[in-house]
Amino acid sequence: MAETGQILNLRRYRQLRNAVVVWLTLVVLGAFLLRIPRIHILEHTARNLYFHVPMWFTLMAAALVSAYHSLRYLQSGDPIRDLRAREAARVGIFFGLLGLATGIVWARFTWYLGTSLWWNFDPKQSFVVIQLLIYGAYFVLRSAVEDPEKRGRVAAVYNLFAVVTMPFLLYVLPRQMESLHPGAEGSPAFSDITHPIMRLVFYPAVIGFIGLFWVLYTQRVRLALLEQRVEMLQATMLEAKS
Amino acid sequence: MKTWLRGFWAIFEKDIKLELRARYAINMLLLFALGALVVMAFAVGPTPLSARVQAALLWTVLLFAAAVGLGRAFISEEERGTILLLQLNLRPGAVYAGKLLVNFVLLLALNIVAVGAFAVLLRVQVAWPGLLALTLLLGSVGLAGATTLLSALIARAAGGRGALLPVLLFPVLVPLLLSAVEATRSALLVAEGWATAADELLTLTGFGGAVITAAVLLFDYIWLD
Repeated sequence: MAETGQILNLRRYRQLRNAVVVWLTLVVLGAFLLRIPRIHILEHTARNLYFHVPMWFTLMAAALVSAYHSLRYLQSGDPIRDLRAREAARVGIFFGLLGLATGIVWARFTWYLGTSLWWNFDPKQSFVVIQLLIYGAYFVLRSAVEDPEKRGRVAAVYNLFAVVTMPFLLYVLPRQMESLHPGAEGSPAFSDITHPIMRLVFYPAVIGFIGLFWVLYTQRVRLALLEQRVEMLQATMLEAKS
Repeated sequence: MKTWLRGFWAIFEKDIKLELRARYAINMLLLFALGALVVMAFAVGPTPLSARVQAALLWTVLLFAAAVGLGRAFISEEERGTILLLQLNLRPGAVYAGKLLVNFVLLLALNIVAVGAFAVLLRVQVAWPGLLALTLLLGSVGLAGATTLLSALIARAAGGRGALLPVLLFPVLVPLLLSAVEATRSALLVAEGWATAADELLTLTGFGGAVITAAVLLFDYIWLD
């Protein structure tokens, strides 16, 4: 495996990790300390923008990374591609759940204030729920197959098949459900209503959380590789004993 | 091309013949749908339902019946040990297309019976029968396309674990379900009809086409070892 050496380039990893840590710390400080315009009902909850929205960007980035490596796995059959697709999906689920949680709680006390609704079939929320269900099914499928080579192929096929149906979902959902998200019909696009100060924090936050995804994802890939190597070593040691 | 067509037709003919002999899949499919509809009708009772709820119930039953009944297409080949023969003699695309057509025919039979029972039990008035028929037809294309690929995937890799197919199928089919329910609702209401359902029909057509195209491309990877 030519790529293994590159993955274990610890120096580059550490540099990028430190950069992400510093960057995200600044973002969090900015998110809580900078003054923002106070709007009725929203008040300080508007700061949720810095955390909730980047989660979606990160989930989409994770989905793209996962689908890309699934495609490459089908082309090359290199086990590292399967590992990468799996770990990207796993970290993606984590960000998706966080985004869903921050969104639901926030919407309950702003958009649906006075209605006691937790869930109102917002297209974007529904889209994420389905994306998470697909990844859930992806891991159930993985756990059902024993042979690693077959498991990788089957999982990659399912992952890509799910990606094909996604654009339809993006088209169908908004037609049937009303959205309060910015950019939907009837509400102005995100950039029109956002104060410049908020943009100053928001865009770096997107970059920071995608960076956090990258750190967690590469970390998990290396862990999985090491686990594999330990298993192989144990197997050879057992053979040598017997 | 000629050998492809011959292979495709041979698969279709063989499966239909076997099906007519044993009548396992079709009977299971129909009885499952009928059973589910009866359960639902009894649970609802004589309360009148809105068109949206009626459409939703119909498509829920169709989706569950397909997930339960159509999983056998490739498992039977594994069980009989004929899979190697098919791998050697036929192009993967021909196998997929043949099985797809079998599943599509089964789904059409299911649609006719289920819609009939549904109209009687839930006292549905169909205002636009042509629109309902076209919706069911287009919906069945997408449903058959997705089910055929995913059942092949489960049969080849996971030894045909039964409950896995619905788990894989449902999240992928949400776009189909939403547009099909919407189009069916339009077909039931006198005030709506073809004009309001045009976009949904277009989505169903596109979804069917995309699913089958993707399935043909991906089928090679699960069919050949």
